[in-house]
Amino acid sequence: MAFVGEDVVLTPELLDHLNTRLGLDKPLHEQFSMFLQSILNGDFGYSYRRHDTVAALILERLPWTLSLAVTSTIIGYASAVVFGSYAGWHAERRASRGLTVAALCISCIPAFLLGLILYAVFVYQLRWFPFKGLYTAAPDLLDVMWHMALPVFALSLLIFARNLLIMRGSVLTEKNQLYPQFAASLGTPQSKILYGHVMKNAILPIITHIAMSFGSILSGALFVEIIFSLNGMGLLMYKALTALDYPVLSGLLLILGIMVVLANIAADVLYGIVDPRVWRTDK
Amino acid sequence: MNTAIRYFPAFPRISWKPYLLPLALISVFILISAAPEAFAPYRPNKLFDPYMELSAEHILGTDDMGRDLFSLLVYAARNSMLIGFASGALAVSIGVAIGLVSGWYRGLLDDVLMGATDVVLIIPKIPLAIILAAYLKPGPWILILVLGLLSWEGVARVIRSRVLQVRSAEFILSAQCLGFSRWYIMTREVLPVIFPLIVPKFVLMTAGAMLSESSLSFLGLTDTTMLSWGTMISESFTYSGFIRGMWNWWLPPALCIILSILAVTSIAFIHERGRRVVIQS
Repeated sequence: MAFVGEDVVLTPELLDHLNTRLGLDKPLHEQFSMFLQSILNGDFGYSYRRHDTVAALILERLPWTLSLAVTSTIIGYASAVVFGSYAGWHAERRASRGLTVAALCISCIPAFLLGLILYAVFVYQLRWFPFKGLYTAAPDLLDVMWHMALPVFALSLLIFARNLLIMRGSVLTEKNQLYPQFAASLGTPQSKILYGHVMKNAILPIITHIAMSFGSILSGALFVEIIFSLNGMGLLMYKALTALDYPVLSGLLLILGIMVVLANIAADVLYGIVDPRVWRTDK
Repeated sequence: MNTAIRYFPAFPRISWKPYLLPLALISVFILISAAPEAFAPYRPNKLFDPYMELSAEHILGTDDMGRDLFSLLVYAARNSMLIGFASGALAVSIGVAIGLVSGWYRGLLDDVLMGATDVVLIIPKIPLAIILAAYLKPGPWILILVLGLLSWEGVARVIRSRVLQVRSAEFILSAQCLGFSRWYIMTREVLPVIFPLIVPKFVLMTAGAMLSESSLSFLGLTDTTMLSWGTMISESFTYSGFIRGMWNWWLPPALCIILSILAVTSIAFIHERGRRVVIQS
């Protein structure tokens, strides 16, 4: 009953009134259908601590988190595909072994720890990047980019490391198929076989993986936001956790769930475009 | 089992040497967590002066309450290792059971179980674990349960697809003709064939659980009396250890987290590399 206010006396009448208003006097299944109805109406509840609707709180921060996650996803996946193909194709070279070992090590670092280490080195010791926040005074593009550079780097490094290993394995499997050997026998240059033929086939597991791992990318973004004090959904969650602001927490989980489901649908469509065989299987 | 080997050739001999380093690291961590008293110079709750520098008595100095950081580090190993391995084992046992039943019986049961698997697969795991932990304030055992119950889906899918392949093999048919019970066939004929898939999955689940545990403890979501490497970093982050530049507070537990996860993951990685060579030859 925190939103009654600290110096307001809680009378039995007020308690009754609140119980009716919040539907706490109804049986559990009716409460649940009320909850579902209000969600369909775009009402995710009311934050006792911040005195604002959960939907407004989340909507205000959603673009920041999404831009952090999407930028890092694009950078991370693009570099993982390119370097992963290299590491798989020239698996015996020293450079690709080093790349693989480095990726394995980085992929074992939890997101918050990687953020913390980067923060300690580049912000705290070297002072190259700002201490906190998304922008200094007003959100203009260059300033935001300067503030977001290190968080985006941290998150895309994680995505890069995890997917480089997948891409490498995928290229290693494709390498043993007959078509690269056939292309090589025709005299096609190695780089054209790799980036023109093998990469196209090897990229398929990666596309499935984008959707599957979008949830973990988002939770990585939440941790990175907490470390770098970016005012996104992650920081909202952290503050809601310390204040035990449950409506905000459940609203956040719901929104994250919806975003992951949407990402999965998008990946399914994308998969069909990239690999036309998918559409033909049922016929 | 013998028939199984004939149809599904066992792995060729793989050199054990690459496993040596990660296994040695893991056994050191397990040894420390089994008997922290033997390694730590002080009890974890013994208090000295706060924020002490590194010295001979306090190898890593002391924290804001004056606890010896090296002793904390040693005592924290137990929870981190226990949670990782126990929830990895829990996730793998649930996954294997569901995958086995689902792949063997197929039909309606398969649809229901795989539907449940898809639901678990799509739920963002860490946020859900965070919210559950915020309600429960879990100690180690509840944390094991939460992490184990949220991460079995990958195992179930892999095991199911392998069981679907195996169940149409001839040695299964012959076992059925000989009148062995379903339970016997599933445990004695199918399980040994899919066992090589289970081991790396267990290892990866363990690493994942260690990672999630450290993240949850970093958010301060676990029982306040629960000592783990993640909580040490969390305390350093919230009680000004970080602002004071006390790297001796947060860096050693960070290194321990990374090393333990790396040691566990690299076992799965080395194992997989051995198999890929087989495919190439």
